[in-house]
Amino acid sequence: MIVAMTFPLLVSVLLAASASRLGRRLPPATAVRLLTIAMLVTALATGFVLAVAGMLVLAQIPLVAALGHYSARVLGSGLPVPVLAGLLAAVTACGLLAAALRRAALGGRELVLAAVACRRLGPAVGGLVVVEDDEPEAYTLPGLGGRVVVSTAMLRALPADERRVLLAHESAHLARWHHLWVQAAELAAAANPLLRPAARAVRSAVERDADEVAAAEVGSRELAARALARAGLARAAAARRRAAPAAALAGADAAVADRARALLAGPPPRRRMLAGMLAALMLATGIAVLVTGVDTEARFEAAQSAYALLR
Amino acid sequence: MAGGRRRGALEQEVLACLAAAGRPLTVADVQADLGSDLAYTTVLTALSRLHAKGALTREPAGRGYAYALSADPGAAVTARRMSRLLDAGEDRAGVLARFVADLSPEDERVLAELLAEGHRAEPGSRP
Repeated sequence: MIVAMTFPLLVSVLLAASASRLGRRLPPATAVRLLTIAMLVTALATGFVLAVAGMLVLAQIPLVAALGHYSARVLGSGLPVPVLAGLLAAVTACGLLAAALRRAALGGRELVLAAVACRRLGPAVGGLVVVEDDEPEAYTLPGLGGRVVVSTAMLRALPADERRVLLAHESAHLARWHHLWVQAAELAAAANPLLRPAARAVRSAVERDADEVAAAEVGSRELAARALARAGLARAAAARRRAAPAAALAGADAAVADRARALLAGPPPRRRMLAGMLAALMLATGIAVLVTGVDTEARFEAAQSAYALLR
Repeated sequence: MAGGRRRGALEQEVLACLAAAGRPLTVADVQADLGSDLAYTTVLTALSRLHAKGALTREPAGRGYAYALSADPGAAVTARRMSRLLDAGEDRAGVLARFVADLSPEDERVLAELLAEGHRAEPGSRP
């Protein structure tokens, strides 16, 4: 049972160490879905085993055991969880639950704000809002009837075929519900901070996925890469004109140069083995949770019978 | 390549084309900018539909019309507010995704080279 209980923690560490590589090696669409699901499974499993560890230690307090009509000694037999570790697990589980709830509330608020902003933007034809502005800017505002917002400066910076790449990229974010995957990944990372690098990997994969969709739509990976390059350079030039501290956020998500390079490197390989291994790891995590749950229940049953026998 | 357009893509491209031009364009102008794979009638239909929806204004030009974007100052204010939210950082703007993030100096050099190579590989392909 100790092995089963520590397994989700091990998987968290493994995901933390390999997330960025997984995100780059898996095809972007697979990476978005598989990584996010893996994060949710791992976060839930970690929370569960922490809560169980805490509960098992707290339940061995004689007063608690007496109130619950079970034998504290039988409950804890063969469980080398030190009291301090159990308490720590309980406190951590509570803290993480609070962090997850807070993140869920924040995420909900962000989605509502986006929906409100969409409504304020009015009934945009084709979901496109053009803003008269000298700052090259393009982004997606998600939600039901989400919008693609592009400034005139950005449109002027690109020739028609590259504008098509931009529009296809942003529309792909909306069509594939990318914001929900990112929110789910952020939620998992809040519930298990070890997964923070994995959430960054999901953000990057989302951009790469939209790039792939755009490249497929315009039928040219080179064209898609050129659009990224020209849009990125237009933003950099505008930032210089403003004498703004450029590159403050550089490297936060997928770096534009990395995305362009990935497009030029050719279609991403499918990596069935890698995806299968990640899926198998999640299955094993699920089994570990099941074992922990079943074993804990058996312990309580045995402790209750022992208590009844002793009376 | 022409068959690859998703629903609504052509309308978006036409709007983007008119916004980039910044002046009224005729059907032929739009067709020339968007590329040869689109038929004149296809562009005309898209422009008429956008005009009917109120997204475009038009004025007589020659035998047909010249089209321009209808101004929407309200949208501009909201959109600018969203941009500021984006600048505020990733945590608050968790729902927004920018087409391109800011560049590091290294990225800038790489991307400039990429564009330069494109020019060399296909001379005269860019206007």
